[in-house]
Amino acid sequence: MGQIMNDILDYLKDNSFIDRESSLNSSDSLTQNGIMDSIGLLELMDHICEKYSIEIPEDMLTPENFDSLQGINDLIVKLTK
Amino acid sequence: MQIMDELNVQIVDKLNGDIENLSLRLRGFIKDQVSGFKKKGVVMGVSGGIDSAVALTLCVRELGKDNVYGLLLPEKESAPSSKTLGAEVCESLGVAYEEVSISPILKSLDIYDKKEQIIKRTCPEYDSGIHKTSLVLPDFLNQGLLNVPYIKLIKDGEEVAKYRLKAKDYLELIGLQNVKQRSRMIVQYMYAEKMNYAVCGTTNKTEMVLGQFVKYGDGGVDIEPLADCYKTQVYALAKYLNVNEAIIQRPPSADTWSHYTSDQDFYWRMPIHIMDQLLYAWEHELPVEVIEKNTELSRETILKAQRHIDRIKDTTEYVRAVPPICYVGK
Repeated sequence: MGQIMNDILDYLKDNSFIDRESSLNSSDSLTQNGIMDSIGLLELMDHICEKYSIEIPEDMLTPENFDSLQGINDLIVKLTK
Repeated sequence: MQIMDELNVQIVDKLNGDIENLSLRLRGFIKDQVSGFKKKGVVMGVSGGIDSAVALTLCVRELGKDNVYGLLLPEKESAPSSKTLGAEVCESLGVAYEEVSISPILKSLDIYDKKEQIIKRTCPEYDSGIHKTSLVLPDFLNQGLLNVPYIKLIKDGEEVAKYRLKAKDYLELIGLQNVKQRSRMIVQYMYAEKMNYAVCGTTNKTEMVLGQFVKYGDGGVDIEPLADCYKTQVYALAKYLNVNEAIIQRPPSADTWSHYTSDQDFYWRMPIHIMDQLLYAWEHELPVEVIEKNTELSRETILKAQRHIDRIKDTTEYVRAVPPICYVGK
């Protein structure tokens, strides 16, 4: 798992979305597994924008881009290029 | 045979069917609950919307106009038509009513100023003298985007800018906005207790399932006659009960923003007839093929919409929950 995915995983643990001991696969769904609700997703978006100094265009706010560590990773890579 | 029937089900027909009997059942419920609570009548907030018009009409037909009291509860940002239509429906039914502005309560809690501050820091060019504001979510069916809230600035009836709200600002804003419905609840109980009446709610099943009401606000009532009727059924009831056509035609709204914001723009994110068919299909566990036939949506869109609805239901579980009790005696 790359640096971005590890950072997101740390964020999820630091903010009690998952237990410290838990782990996630890069393709695990954050919403279908009940890890995050819509408010949690909004908080995660703010965290990503702040940490990576990016703005996320509206058309990129799709379930696919935010539902897994891999999706989030790909989104951040695309926007920080 | 049963499978064939299920595949041919017409959801809209099911929802619009036997409205006369539905009306009688709701009236019976109102009578039983009010007398069960040993109350003499009902107090109801009349918003100028279709739900309160239908609930008020049912109460009047069952309890008599002298046992129903209407409250118009406007505030600074309410659409003027809310008050006019609310008064009209009370007058057409011969119901005694009163207007109590909740603006002083909101001002005393600094609600308007705090809301202005959030809008200003979200939308740099916001000018309260020029712009009206609205809180919206992106359309779901056409865009398939996440539930991400935006503040829209409207000038001369046209959208001029749109900004994404940060999570902490969104949460604060919702807390501020919900004071409006909670203030209305306080006023309704003040009148209900004085008159020994029950407070009648107006939440429908679409709103109940989606958590589209304010806990201890418009959800803080004694009886909920419409809470097992989808919004589509409320429309059918309105026609059956001869509710004012202007109320039926008015886009449903919580009416808490200076720019009139419809429930379709903020809550449902799709037309109500589609949302109700999806909810009905979920309730009756209908196969996707049936939903495709009824809604003319693609299988992919239906599955996405079902996941979207699941997320809403999950997020709003807390809104519907009654306070859990730790039973220590068992």
